[in-house]
Amino acid sequence: MNAPLFPAGQAWPDDFAAALLDPARPAPAGLTSWNGSDPAQRFAVYRNNVTVSLIDALADTFPVVQALVGVDFFRAMAREFVRAAPPASPVLAGYGDEFPAFVAGFAPAAGVPYLADVARLEYARVLVFHAADATPVAADAVAALLAEPATLPGLAVRFVPACSLLRSRWAIASLWAAHQTDDAAGDLSRIDPAAPENALVCRRGLDVEVRALAAGDAAFVAALMGGASLGEAIALGAGEPGFDLAGALGLLLAADAIAGFTPAGEGEQR
Amino acid sequence: MSQNLSRQASAAALALALGAALVAAPAAAADAAKEKCYGVAMKGKNDCKAGAGTSCAGTSVRDHQGNAWSYVPAGTCEKTASPTSPTGMGQLKEFKEKKA
Amino acid sequence: MASSHRAPPRGPFAAVPASALPASAGLGLKPEHFLDILATRPALGFFEIHAENYMVPGGPFHHYLGRIRADHALSVHGVGLSIGGAGPLDEAHLDRLAVLLDRYAPESFSEHLAWSSHGERYFNDLLPAPYNAATLAAVCAHIDRVQERLGRRMLLENPSTYVEFVASDIDEPVFLSEIVRRTGCGLLLDVNNLYVSCTNHGRDPYAELERLPLAAVGEIHLAGFAHALDSRGAPLLIDSHGAPVAQAVWTLYDAALMLTGPVATLIERDNDIPAFAVLCAEAMEAGRRIAALNETAMPA
Repeated sequence: MNAPLFPAGQAWPDDFAAALLDPARPAPAGLTSWNGSDPAQRFAVYRNNVTVSLIDALADTFPVVQALVGVDFFRAMAREFVRAAPPASPVLAGYGDEFPAFVAGFAPAAGVPYLADVARLEYARVLVFHAADATPVAADAVAALLAEPATLPGLAVRFVPACSLLRSRWAIASLWAAHQTDDAAGDLSRIDPAAPENALVCRRGLDVEVRALAAGDAAFVAALMGGASLGEAIALGAGEPGFDLAGALGLLLAADAIAGFTPAGEGEQR
Repeated sequence: MSQNLSRQASAAALALALGAALVAAPAAAADAAKEKCYGVAMKGKNDCKAGAGTSCAGTSVRDHQGNAWSYVPAGTCEKTASPTSPTGMGQLKEFKEKKA
Repeated sequence: MASSHRAPPRGPFAAVPASALPASAGLGLKPEHFLDILATRPALGFFEIHAENYMVPGGPFHHYLGRIRADHALSVHGVGLSIGGAGPLDEAHLDRLAVLLDRYAPESFSEHLAWSSHGERYFNDLLPAPYNAATLAAVCAHIDRVQERLGRRMLLENPSTYVEFVASDIDEPVFLSEIVRRTGCGLLLDVNNLYVSCTNHGRDPYAELERLPLAAVGEIHLAGFAHALDSRGAPLLIDSHGAPVAQAVWTLYDAALMLTGPVATLIERDNDIPAFAVLCAEAMEAGRRIAALNETAMPA
């Protein structure tokens, strides 16, 4: 059952597959048509379907990247990516994980240095959208912790799967948010792209929400996501500007980011 | 907040902060809940349609490695400020097209 | 090769119908229509999903599918199994399918006579295979494995194709009939694909229809195509799923229904998706044709 139907290198399927994403290759041999029309022109339908459908999948995942550089530029860049890194899995929801790194190294886009980090934010939104369901911690469970304040610094936070943090040297949260309104251009002119920003991306109910975090809050959350105790994370957060402990905890609770609290060292790290 | 917080101080601060966060979180959640009357924006990416038929997207050969680039403004990135870059942030380089 | 498509299906699941969908009209389920469907609870026979879109851990897609499935019959239609491929089946993908089918217990599972993966690459298109003894054996072995792993019969869909192979020496109706006979799978008769492929290869769709294994049809697909031309100026139809069903395809559908009897029929739309009410109206048109068949088939 697993034996190849044709020896390697024969026209079908090796040449057929190789020619789909490489326009420099001739159409595969062994194709025919009923009326003597050019099989290569007919084969081009498949080339287009493969290329266009994968570019469309990227355009669905990266709409803000597309808006930033324009449809023509985006599709030309995406086409190079599709040819260089076609999907390995038939589940296209996850396609594009390598796209931000590709954008970062894509010379014609070098004048838009924040583009790759905006792509990272958009990819994180897709992952969070499809992440496993989990019940966020109940308010009374949090309230119960307050009965024993001495244990609080030693607790670690268990995050829900549908939550991730991006730390960037660019204003990714503001750039992304500006494209969610009807007047992207007006909002963009008020943004300094070179202002570092951090984005907490969490699914609350059925909606993926993006929240900007100050550097200190982001350092605090990043430490917690790495498995640090609350006490350890406070020290890390306090080392950077803009740390507001109550604000950061309130943000995590409001974002439904927290699944529960466990004694540090006993919980799963993520 | 100082980095030299004692464990007790940290415990007290945490208790205060968690208490405040608990009070604040439901209000923030209710705010966000108001904005939810749109549908599901995310699409399914697997389907069995044929894309653009006989357009040239699958066959055209373009190459960005050329050296005859010209600058072309393209999308909303043109609108972003560029205080530090002499060429301006949001400048894209045009693809050089080769005849296949 | 003898085509004995009227013979009863063989295989371990032969006693179970390949499809338990109601003989009425259905629509493809699109996220942009989730809320409309829940608000209006339309009187459709079933919804169909592309399996791969729901191979994600959680989130809104599963939330809405679970709620919609509670009200409607469900067809799971795979697009990524690459049954017509030269390599082995992707067992990890089969595992994902098994999880999905266990979770939603659909009335039907179907896939394509096509390939979409080769080596480590997934091409996201339904690609053609030569039809000969070697490919027939491979496709049948793949379907045997799918049915064994999933513990159920599947439907196999006839493809839209744009090229033919010098290496083919079996025609499509005989190839499909042999697959059905050997594996016991059912046929998902895509009437648009039949029309598109026959046009693209200079064949008569009505003559070809009569030679398909029609006793095994468990579902029909209808869709719209796009027009192009081959290098000699002959029509080359593209299976775009981006337009209403063409009049010629409705007429061919009527002829198919006369031969199959009432059967579950899906309107497929994947491009330029209109408002839900527009698709519902197209499904109602299919439903009227199925109902008319029931009336004319009544003995006097």
